[in-house]
Amino acid sequence: MICAGIDAGSRSIKVLLFDTERSQILSSGIMDQGLAQQRLAAQLFERTLREAQVPRAQVAAVVATGYGRSAVRFADTTITEITCHARGVHHLVPDARTIIEIGGQDSKVICLEDGGRVRDFAMNDRCAAGSGRFLEVVASRLDVDLPTLGDLSRDSLNPAAISSMCVVFAETEIIGLLTEGTPAPDIAAGVQQAIAMRVVALAGRAVAPPVCFTGGVALQSGMVRALSEVLSCPVRVAPLPQYTGALGAAILAGSRPRFGTPP
Amino acid sequence: MEDLNPSAHSDRSPVFPATRPDAPDHSCPDERGGGTDAGAGPPPPLRYFEQMIDHCCDYAEAAKAQGRPIVGILCEYTPREVILAAGGVPVCLCGGSVATIPAAEQYLPANLCPLIKSTFGYHVKGSNPFLNWADLVVAETTCDGKKKMFELLGATMPMYVLELPQKAEDPDALAHWTDEVHKLKARLEQQFQVRITDDKLRQAIRLMNRERGLRRQLADLMTADPPPLSGRQLLEFKSIISGIDADLRQYESALEFYGRGLTASDRPTADTKAAKVRVLMTGVPLVHGAERVLELIESCGAVVVCMENCTGLKPILEDAAPDEPDPIPAIARKYYHLPCSVMTVNRRRMDSLRTLAARFRPHCVIELVWQACLTYDVESFHVRALVENELGLPYLKITTDYSPSDSSRITARVEALVETAWARRAP
Repeated sequence: MICAGIDAGSRSIKVLLFDTERSQILSSGIMDQGLAQQRLAAQLFERTLREAQVPRAQVAAVVATGYGRSAVRFADTTITEITCHARGVHHLVPDARTIIEIGGQDSKVICLEDGGRVRDFAMNDRCAAGSGRFLEVVASRLDVDLPTLGDLSRDSLNPAAISSMCVVFAETEIIGLLTEGTPAPDIAAGVQQAIAMRVVALAGRAVAPPVCFTGGVALQSGMVRALSEVLSCPVRVAPLPQYTGALGAAILAGSRPRFGTPP
Repeated sequence: MEDLNPSAHSDRSPVFPATRPDAPDHSCPDERGGGTDAGAGPPPPLRYFEQMIDHCCDYAEAAKAQGRPIVGILCEYTPREVILAAGGVPVCLCGGSVATIPAAEQYLPANLCPLIKSTFGYHVKGSNPFLNWADLVVAETTCDGKKKMFELLGATMPMYVLELPQKAEDPDALAHWTDEVHKLKARLEQQFQVRITDDKLRQAIRLMNRERGLRRQLADLMTADPPPLSGRQLLEFKSIISGIDADLRQYESALEFYGRGLTASDRPTADTKAAKVRVLMTGVPLVHGAERVLELIESCGAVVVCMENCTGLKPILEDAAPDEPDPIPAIARKYYHLPCSVMTVNRRRMDSLRTLAARFRPHCVIELVWQACLTYDVESFHVRALVENELGLPYLKITTDYSPSDSSRITARVEALVETAWARRAP
């Protein structure tokens, strides 16, 4: 059975086709999120189908997840990012017990039981600090692109202390640091550390290893190091970190009874 | 809901629609009144309480015209019986409107609980008729935010504050609280030129016991699986003025209406989509106008079967003994047992949660904390430990205020909790 997962995130849309019998990813695609969310998701879905040479009629079920999930009208059902990331990561890294997911506008910590079921989760609420959006704001302040920002932190000898809890205030704080002549690598490293501390504070309790890091921000070099330093334990980046939500959605689309709906 | 005045709330529409196209039916599992019953829409007792503010306005206006004093109260620790025995009309002034908060922030810090700000905002705007009519406001030294707000309120309102001892298990605490209730009695007698006799107090106890008993029975309907009404509907069965005879009669007819029990054909089987995740809510109260989080929860395929908070079961679980030789200590004891988070150590709340969880059989617990409500926020540590380790249920804490800006994020977290609860129930 072929199933599709669509992760309509705040910054990008991800689509993934999954063959449940062979437990194999057939194709996947990503594009920037925009105003016409439903149309963009449909376009990306078509493109992903074409790449895999799978006719639409062969797709048995479509599950949408992510912040824009209810805008994906052609999905059969929706499931939250929490359940989907948990399922996707469990598929790729079966022994993971804690998932840290940092996306465009939020960050979450998910604790898993044996067997990959969600035991507990925590999510940031109103504030975007500790999310990808924070990194974007900082990158634009430092006049670099996102991958460069990640690399910059490697050269830091003395990470700057960024204490603001709010993206807007943090930006002001960074302007202050720049005025004082703080080197860009120290600011980049300071920001990564601030995000890591904020995300770990979310967890609030002991984080059980193995820890798996996923979401778009997992692609930032330097973030893994910052997280493992704050947690004092190794952190592993999930394979396909941008796609674990869509993968989980596709796998759940193929499971009966479905997660998230009453049996 | 700019103003807490008649009809302002009656045009309220459901603000939070289902978030998913295939969402299970969110309506009450048993929509009596639609279909074969006469007339569509909510059943008569529910319709009555949808006009609660209007009724209270009429009642207070008539009472005032007859010379009865209006006494504002701001907390469930206030012994309503003493006010009733003085011939007064006890009316709850707690604010649940986001619209009055900016006015309050001219005087109060932004980082304060929305209930305090909203209540005070009504005062600043002069838009709560009950506050305008009040001859006296009675309050207690509960949390710091309220206590200091009362000083500002007291600058322009006649105000009486009882000292609430906060070491709940201290042997001297109840005696001190009883003295405070005696002092309130003396103050009411002096201000309103009445004599509060023991007989009047006993009458008031019986009246309040009857009201509490009826509301307790209504809440108890939620032990059924599925319950005959939603948590949001149950929350409608309340009145900001205690002891109104017409209200009590409506509670009785609601009990008769919902208590008929579901027939076999009404009862959805466990595998139909109507089966919902049962939620126990705890934490801060959802005062009139501030029901958003409850509505969000019930839009996610969950039903709130129990509310262990001040707008739910907390203040009505215990009655006052009606036949003791001295009624004041009986009243004081009943109120002092309220397990608010201002108490230290607040073991009674944990005991209450254990009892309620056994009785209402929730699948998960959601704790609501108003932003900057320090006592509930800190105490949530113990609640989480109890829920996760002892009750073995998923727990979610939602910290928010009256503004709807985080509604979609709250929904995502509740949906994830519902998914988690379902997954745990699956074989």
